[in-house]
Amino acid sequence: MSDNKSLLTIKDVYASIEEKQIIKGFDLDIKPGEVHAIMGPNGAGKSTMGYVLSGREGYEVDSGTITFDGKDLLEMEIEERAAAGLFLAFQYPVEIPGVSNLEFLKASVDAIREANGEEPITSSELLKQAKEACKQVNLPLAFLKRGVNEGFSGGEKKRNELMQMLLLKPRLCILDETDSGLDIDALQMVAEGVNSQRSPDRSFIVVTHYQRLLDYIKPDFVHVLADGKIVKSGDASLALELESQGYAWLETHKDEEIEG
Amino acid sequence: MSEWLESAISRGQKIDDWLNPKRSRALELLSTTKWPTRKTEAWRYTPLRAIQSTKATQLDVVSDLTPLAIADLSAIELVFKNGKLDKSQLSDTLPTGLTVTLGSELAAAQQSQAVADFSEVKPDRHLFGLVNDALAQDVVIVNVEAGVKIEQPVRISSLLSQGAESHTRVQVTLGEGAELAVIEDVQAEGETLNTAFVEYFVSPKAHLEHYRFALQTGTNVSVGGCHFNMLDHSTMHSTIVAFGSDLSRLDTDIIHSGEFVDAKLNAIYLLDNNELFDLHATVEHAMPNGTTEENVRCIVGGRAKAVFNGRIHIHRDAQKTLAELNNRNLLVSKTAEINTKPELEIYADDVRCAHGATSAEVDKQALYYLQTRGIDRAQANVILNFGFINELIDLMPNKVLAEWIRPIIRARFSTMKVN
Repeated sequence: MSDNKSLLTIKDVYASIEEKQIIKGFDLDIKPGEVHAIMGPNGAGKSTMGYVLSGREGYEVDSGTITFDGKDLLEMEIEERAAAGLFLAFQYPVEIPGVSNLEFLKASVDAIREANGEEPITSSELLKQAKEACKQVNLPLAFLKRGVNEGFSGGEKKRNELMQMLLLKPRLCILDETDSGLDIDALQMVAEGVNSQRSPDRSFIVVTHYQRLLDYIKPDFVHVLADGKIVKSGDASLALELESQGYAWLETHKDEEIEG
Repeated sequence: MSEWLESAISRGQKIDDWLNPKRSRALELLSTTKWPTRKTEAWRYTPLRAIQSTKATQLDVVSDLTPLAIADLSAIELVFKNGKLDKSQLSDTLPTGLTVTLGSELAAAQQSQAVADFSEVKPDRHLFGLVNDALAQDVVIVNVEAGVKIEQPVRISSLLSQGAESHTRVQVTLGEGAELAVIEDVQAEGETLNTAFVEYFVSPKAHLEHYRFALQTGTNVSVGGCHFNMLDHSTMHSTIVAFGSDLSRLDTDIIHSGEFVDAKLNAIYLLDNNELFDLHATVEHAMPNGTTEENVRCIVGGRAKAVFNGRIHIHRDAQKTLAELNNRNLLVSKTAEINTKPELEIYADDVRCAHGATSAEVDKQALYYLQTRGIDRAQANVILNFGFINELIDLMPNKVLAEWIRPIIRARFSTMKVN
């Protein structure tokens, strides 16, 4: 149930891509410091929800409300959402040749600082913070000089996303299948990065297909998304249950709605 | 025939010097050349009215012109002022193995070689190349002896003062295994006209690093060329950076005259206002086992017009050729125009040849990505467009030049009219 302490409140949201409705009555309430895992089969709308929250063009909200930190998120531009503290770690981060990672980080950190009435960061301070962040996610420092994600492996791209998260210090991080395509070492690295950022005023939405990531990032709540809405919510044990049963049971329990 | 061309011919006819044999040939060819119109394929998108209406004329040397300083660059300066070589700018002590001499001052044997070489790389089809043949006053011969590697680049600057017309010509010869970097640039103030042609003779195993900066804008008219004759196992890496002007046209010819030649050409152009820049790049694969890679990128804003014609001709005997031509164009305004035409002519059967030309707006996914990191749309556009150009700046072998040109391009980009 939402109250005025909620960081994010999603109420009965329906959303479409190219007139095809993907999200069908989505409800979620997240308080500061909570970690929510959203699981579900392919095609359930897991990534779509991340794009809707970030404000991606073409993802139309047909009805419902989304409130972020007391403000109407749907009225905000993509960059305003970022400045307000919303961060989406992409499943497939885009490559931007010719724009160095460091240059990109500077533009990003400065934009967010400016939006919050702060002075731009000095280049030396940024470099210092970026180096620390690289170290934390085990990304070689040389990657700061390379084009954004250019020629990075899948795992390196994911680590680069986390590196940005460490620098931008968002209030809500949405990790969109950050675990996909990672080996166990990389997975642990990602989890450590996330865990290091857990704090009473920072919340996470961890979107994943598999339970495995949740061995390392302990969620407070687990939600099962099917056909565009949350059909089941519970605590961390729900993830284990899903792991043993798969998602097939969703078919038989389709009509059942359980509130967590 | 145009009045302008008639005047050029009549001026050429009055010159009498060591180049007479080649000049008279050029004059003869010019007298039968038709002035290009919209129906002339090589000039289809590039109208010549700016030449016909220019008030620029051949002036006396203006002494207060100085080449634009390039921070931290130590170069051997070769300076033309309104078409005349300023000998006072040339260092008295050149590195061993390098000579820079006015053609008129060469010893007899070398002079006859220079006459023989003159206009041998540059194809006769270049109308303004013929004009340059006829009107170039101070032809300069640069020579690097076999096996010599010259550390300092040679910088050929053509400076023009308001109202000036200039025709500069340089021949550069690299002996076997020699290495040299050459920077060509033009600086023009106000209404000016120049033709600047350089011919390169690159001997076996020699390496040429080449730059041409055509950053002149406004009412300047520039028509020029860089022509490269490449022998066995020679290599070249060329970077062209251009803004546009009333009329700015560059023709490049890379001729694989030997086997196992490796040629790279990267071109960047950024056009704004009513500017025009036209690059006609031709590659002749006359011999087997050659490699060519061309990357041409332009950003066009305002009401500017970009023209690119990339011709790769693979002759029948040029087996095992690898040739790639990539042209990417970005329009940042609705009134900007891009005309791009790849032309592949392949007569050999065992070759790999690829081309791609795209005209696009910025990548929407990349734009979205930057926005999710707090960067607003306008700034994200700037970052992405600049990145598109920056990729090629990163590839410039001379890092001093890269760091010099990068802020210049960035400054121009930031003032470009996006709409």
